[in-house]
Amino acid sequence: MSRRTRLILAAGISLALVAGGASVASAMLQDASAQLRASGQVGEQADGYLGLVGSAPAAVRAQVDSVNIKRRAYYTDLAAKRGAKIEEVAATTACELFRTKVAPGQYYRLPDGVWRQRDGSTPIPLPGYCG
Amino acid sequence: MRRMKILLAVPVVLMSAGCVQVSAPEKPIEINLNINIRQEVVVRLQQDVRDLIKENPGVF
Repeated sequence: MSRRTRLILAAGISLALVAGGASVASAMLQDASAQLRASGQVGEQADGYLGLVGSAPAAVRAQVDSVNIKRRAYYTDLAAKRGAKIEEVAATTACELFRTKVAPGQYYRLPDGVWRQRDGSTPIPLPGYCG
Repeated sequence: MRRMKILLAVPVVLMSAGCVQVSAPEKPIEINLNINIRQEVVVRLQQDVRDLIKENPGVF
């Protein structure tokens, strides 16, 4: 096998892998984060990422990691576009998620690091910088 | 000196390993949001963030 053939083969294989990964990603649940929050094992954190409320099964941890890796990529992208820090984009997102996505009975974690459960229809007390 | 080099190499190896496999810690990571987030920054980013959330319902 010539060097060129090998190169072409390698390129083809990596392309197939990328395409495969993309289709798996798009096949992923459209509401993965919502389902994780609804499970009660996972909550929203002030740092813009999902966190485990207690000890969770490996499958749940893997899903949280998967979501958080994607979040990190989006935050990084937006931060670069707007000349902001990744942490700033992430914290701003957390403010918005606290406002709109954490349903009554679901868990959230403010900068004090304590997990709390949203009480009824009372809004989550937001950190001062949320505006 | 050689020892230092080895010590320096450890985080590099760990970091490159992190790119391939991600293992969740047993204990939840202690979050530390003591960084200074200024309200004007939040206000400036707010609309972009709202769009981001809306466009990626599975992730947010």
